[in-house]
Amino acid sequence: MAPSITLESVTYRYAPGTAPALSDLSISLPGGTCCAILGPTGSGKSTLVQLLAGILAKHHPESVGEGSLTIGDHRYTPLPNDILFPDVGLTLQDPYVQISGIRETTRKEIELTLETLGRDLVNEGGNIERLMHQLGITHLAARKPTTLSGGETQRVALATILIANPDVLLLDEPATALDYGAQANLKLILQSLRGAATVLFTDTHIDLPLEVADYFIVLKAGSLQFGGNRKQFLEHLPDFADLLPVEAWGKVLSALKGDPQSPFVRRIVQAAGLL
Amino acid sequence: MVPDLRPKLAFVLFLSVCAFAFDWQILLPLIALVLLFPFALPSYHPASDRARHLFFRFILFSIAISGAIIVLNGWILQTGERVEVLPGISLFSDGLLFGVRTAARLLLLSFSVLLFFSSTPIPTCINALQQSGLPRTVVLMLLLTLHFLDSLPERINRIFMAQEARGAPVRAGFISRTKAFFSILSPLLLSSIAESVDRGVALELRGFLLEMAPSAKPELPAQPFSPLTILLLAASFFILVISIARWLLP
Amino acid sequence: MKLSEQFTKETSGAAIPFIAFCIALNLTVGQVTSALKIPIYLDSIGTVLTAVLVGPLAAATAGALSNLLASAMGSPTMAFFVPVSLVIGLFSGTLARRGWFKQWYLVVLGGALQGVLAAVCSAPISAYLFSGVMMAGTDFLVLYFRSVGNTIMESVFYQGLASDPVDKIITYLIVFLLMRNLPRRLTGRFAGAANIPSRSA
Repeated sequence: MAPSITLESVTYRYAPGTAPALSDLSISLPGGTCCAILGPTGSGKSTLVQLLAGILAKHHPESVGEGSLTIGDHRYTPLPNDILFPDVGLTLQDPYVQISGIRETTRKEIELTLETLGRDLVNEGGNIERLMHQLGITHLAARKPTTLSGGETQRVALATILIANPDVLLLDEPATALDYGAQANLKLILQSLRGAATVLFTDTHIDLPLEVADYFIVLKAGSLQFGGNRKQFLEHLPDFADLLPVEAWGKVLSALKGDPQSPFVRRIVQAAGLL
Repeated sequence: MVPDLRPKLAFVLFLSVCAFAFDWQILLPLIALVLLFPFALPSYHPASDRARHLFFRFILFSIAISGAIIVLNGWILQTGERVEVLPGISLFSDGLLFGVRTAARLLLLSFSVLLFFSSTPIPTCINALQQSGLPRTVVLMLLLTLHFLDSLPERINRIFMAQEARGAPVRAGFISRTKAFFSILSPLLLSSIAESVDRGVALELRGFLLEMAPSAKPELPAQPFSPLTILLLAASFFILVISIARWLLP
Repeated sequence: MKLSEQFTKETSGAAIPFIAFCIALNLTVGQVTSALKIPIYLDSIGTVLTAVLVGPLAAATAGALSNLLASAMGSPTMAFFVPVSLVIGLFSGTLARRGWFKQWYLVVLGGALQGVLAAVCSAPISAYLFSGVMMAGTDFLVLYFRSVGNTIMESVFYQGLASDPVDKIITYLIVFLLMRNLPRRLTGRFAGAANIPSRSA
């Protein structure tokens, strides 16, 4: 059962006395949702997913966090100060650094995670094959993992996290470095995870989130601009025209399959300055 | 199955001790022996074509250097018998003898280390070290070093080309070359350090380096030392003790 | 075991790939300087970087592993100089702990002391094991010192004194400048973050 995630008045500063990177965030996510965290660069998206993965306090000893985090029935007050893997998995923005570089083949790279967790590789053979098939990387099994393309590397990096079966999957800007083909692939992967894990991913654009997410969070300078389900988000969409890049709005309209004459679509079009 | 590297290591130790303890009359046959090993014994075959190439290139190089050492010493240390090699150029026997001694020692020391490494690929060394209880962190460190060694030259090349494209005189005179070197050093270090930190974060995010993570090290029963290893270690110890004793009590 | 605890503490987390990078840096920079024919080696720059950001034991490890790997990759005699690298790592790590990497003049002084120490440590090894022959350009310097009447040990030591301090001062200065330019986001994660000048806001 994928766990729910609740943040209560979370404020986070990288150093005492500095402006907060996250400020008084209260969010409540039902278990199994696919949540998009949106906002421009520097709005605190990465900080939020790193906080959820438990890596922030560990790597920023001077930082100060307040508030509490609840994942499933585990409540963290103060905020977690050690990595929550394998319960929570996080993939970083740059997929290349997630390839350890110490294994000769892609398959062994994925096995490395299981070895670290002390799992028995013989029993997990079937799981590895299933996952590689699901991610469409079966044909890469014998390739050297440091020689793969960006999209391939990202799927392998995702596999190294998913093989541990995390209940919560966090992805930091998974779509940024991808071409269109790889983005379509990512969309399928995220859709296939629906219900199996609580997924949160960050994005500066709005097209992929609109296609896969059922919960939306919009951050601006560390504060919560918006948090709500798909229906609520669509109603408020015009309010975020200044936060999300304009070039994507054409895609938004087609994704919504909206009647161009409806007042709602007209509001969006006006807000985005597309007229 | 990880091969037992201890006999080989004991052999390197034995040869090093010999190089330290004996004079050139004994060292020369030993050097010849070391040069025969890659042909005679399968476990001393060069591990790859590249290793074979390196091994023989180094041998040729160091034999040439040894010749130079002998001649230069004979020329500079002007004591002992005078030997006229060419009209007007004469060498001295003390210097020549010293040169031969030095060269023999140098050749034996470097050939024995080279023999070990050319016949043992580095990953095999690392595996063997892991089996013998080297901390997991150090093993990981070594494996990552190999990764960085693979990727650093390419990175340097890229920065070099970028600098050259911006007009840095990478191929000009000495001062400009030095300047160019420093101009690549800074971006190289900044970008690589950032990358290595991110890599560490990524490894941690996969459960690596966490204190509670169970050790993935397979627990194998310790292999006993082979008789050959014991013999070589004992011989090294014996020779070392005798030669130190002779050195201390003339 | 206090030492092993200290080592584990130093090498936790993100430090491991960083130390690995520093070892690779030692080896690669050594190759680049010799390929560019620059009369400095800088082949302990990674060791000093580790010493400042991580700690003395990690730096000693990085130095020793650099020598062993250099040995494996075509300079067999490097393995015999492992003790020198251990000393360089421990010494520079201790200096960093005592705040010597916070002021430029202490950095220069530390580099000079490090150079002398390196010369002292490597002299007996090159003299007794190799009779002063390292198969490098510096051999001619050793020969020169011998031809004017010094013993091998003295000649090797003088050669070390002539080249090591300059090399180490430059190494130390590069590391010092680098530390001032690295963002806090990176340095803050390391055990040695307190060893470097914090950029005042």
